Amino acid sequence: MFKRILIANRGEIALRVIRSAREMGIESIAVYSEADARALHTRMADVAVPLGGKLPSESYLDMDKILAAALETGAEAIHPGYGFLSENAEFARRVEEAGLAWIGPPAGAITTMGDKITSRREMKAAGVPCVPGLVDPVDDVAAATREAETIGYPIAIKAAAGGGGKGIRIVREPSEMASAFRTASGEAVTSFGDGRVYLERYLDSPRHVEVQVMFDGHGNGVHFFERECSVQRRHQKLVEEAPSCILDEETRQAMGKVALQAGHAVGYCGAGTVEFLWSGGEFFFLEMNTRLQVEHPVTEMITGVDLVREQLRVADGQPLGYGQEDLAIHGHSIEVRINAEDPFNGFLPSTGVLHNLRAPGGPWVRLDTAMYRGLEVGLEYDPMLGKLIVWGADRAEAIARMIRAIREMNVGGVHTSLPAALQVLMHERFVKGDYDTHFLEGLTIESPKEYEGLAAVAAAIYRHHQARRRALAPSSAGRSGWQARTRGELTGHVGRAGVAAATEVQS
Amino acid sequence: MKTFVKIGETTHEVELTERLGELIVRLDGEPCEVEYAEADQLGQIILIHGGKSYAMSIEGGPHDIAITIAGHRYDCELEDERERAANLAARAANKGGGLLKAVMPGVVVELLVEVGEAVAEGQPLLILEAMKMQNEIGAPGDGIVKALHTSAGDAVGAGDKLVTLAAPEAE
Repeated sequence: MFKRILIANRGEIALRVIRSAREMGIESIAVYSEADARALHTRMADVAVPLGGKLPSESYLDMDKILAAALETGAEAIHPGYGFLSENAEFARRVEEAGLAWIGPPAGAITTMGDKITSRREMKAAGVPCVPGLVDPVDDVAAATREAETIGYPIAIKAAAGGGGKGIRIVREPSEMASAFRTASGEAVTSFGDGRVYLERYLDSPRHVEVQVMFDGHGNGVHFFERECSVQRRHQKLVEEAPSCILDEETRQAMGKVALQAGHAVGYCGAGTVEFLWSGGEFFFLEMNTRLQVEHPVTEMITGVDLVREQLRVADGQPLGYGQEDLAIHGHSIEVRINAEDPFNGFLPSTGVLHNLRAPGGPWVRLDTAMYRGLEVGLEYDPMLGKLIVWGADRAEAIARMIRAIREMNVGGVHTSLPAALQVLMHERFVKGDYDTHFLEGLTIESPKEYEGLAAVAAAIYRHHQARRRALAPSSAGRSGWQARTRGELTGHVGRAGVAAATEVQS
Repeated sequence: MKTFVKIGETTHEVELTERLGELIVRLDGEPCEVEYAEADQLGQIILIHGGKSYAMSIEGGPHDIAITIAGHRYDCELEDERERAANLAARAANKGGGLLKAVMPGVVVELLVEVGEAVAEGQPLLILEAMKMQNEIGAPGDGIVKALHTSAGDAVGAGDKLVTLAAPEAE
């Protein structure tokens, strides 16, 4: 096994890799940008190498600097984490050319899966189901009606030059085809100056379900079942869970088999995720992420497998040493992403200094984060500050536990996505498992009215005390008399607010 | 002393009277019995009301205070009577016009309006890129673009001036 690895990343994922490496007796080398001199990954690693530079292109994306750091420190392998260089085939190639091990799939697999068109072509050839449709434009209504029969209704007519939902028409039966084709084509001309359209099956209420796979370098592969990530906004996931509550055992097996087929087809090695769209009992290949994913902990929680450890073992050339029949789903897990953004204000990014931080605890609660008190949250990097993960014996228990954990947590100094996640978890549709990829976008994030009056009172009193403290400062900055008086009474037995409400469901 | 606390669309009136070192609280005209204590100097407070103890996290001040209770967040805008009167007068003088400032640091990608253009409430005025996301910044109310304080490609900080709107002309 490697003695020393370099982690070409920052934030919680760098910590995640350091932790597994340390448990395995492997030293970790961190690299850091100018902005990250005080970051946790810099402090937690055995050795930290400064890359300099403020921009990602001058630090975490600079292949030369990272390779030099690895060679200088005697690292034997590079773990790319997610984002940055993790899906960069050139970097993967250069790491191996430098005589180091790449903790990720072969460069060829990254290239094939990284391109929408080639990946779909390869997957079709490998017998992986893709969204039925045509790659080539259709000329007229007659041709469209003919092709629609093979594809199957409902049909989406899309502009060949299009994007952003413009020029899309949904056709539910053949009688609607003629008028829909003409309007779609007309809209395509006015919007893009190109009237060509193509047909694709329209998926009603699609759900995002993905399969975690792991291959070794000896031709063995297993899948660690699925995760559901349908709670998303502009393709940014917010709440993820495993297993998915819409898959029956048969579909689960089929999906896992297809995911392995996809991996074998491109000669995969290491950890990867095959993403599918599920709709009305059918599922279709979307894309493959050739790296460890943000939401990998929910899989770890239900399988008991440390995915980073497996990545390291496989990259070291070891065989998996177990098969599909050795793996089983145990209980249910949910993850919530803690992003620095304001959910009440269109999820706009939020910046500030974390002046206060309270982490949740208790049984089966896991917090993967690189947050610390005093951290300056800026705009240089991804707004994801961390992830909160829970496990429960079943889905209901996991939901209740996550609501409990969110209520314990406090991130002071920036807005976070936590109130939005809380609203999702308490929503009737989520609780029933009746949601799809449009669910979050249709939700208005708002705080319940029940606490509003008390919040107003607290804010006014807080301001009153602040003003008073300023007036009295600095000589008598201590507690005011009446505060001291109320302090003594806090020892009395009082009901804790918000506990009973944890099980309430918001419709 | 009255404080006007705006949360979302609602404005609550909180009246605080200090009597013998004790705070008497009225919320929206009704007496409200609460006890308040600060658990630490970092914004953890405890409010006891109706036999229940509410643990809250509080930050900001004095005009913008955010409160988190049981995972829910309340963004409060505060004004005392004097500030309210002053702000009302300022708003009346502006008649729907006003200054739009950046709420977050970012880079101006594109200006979507020109000086002299009439805009409607919510109409996108410019695109601000922050944290790799492009955000449309909308007009706070109907008006006419009086001045643009920035141009495409500019980096702006939170609180920087973006656009000044003048009140719409009377019809």
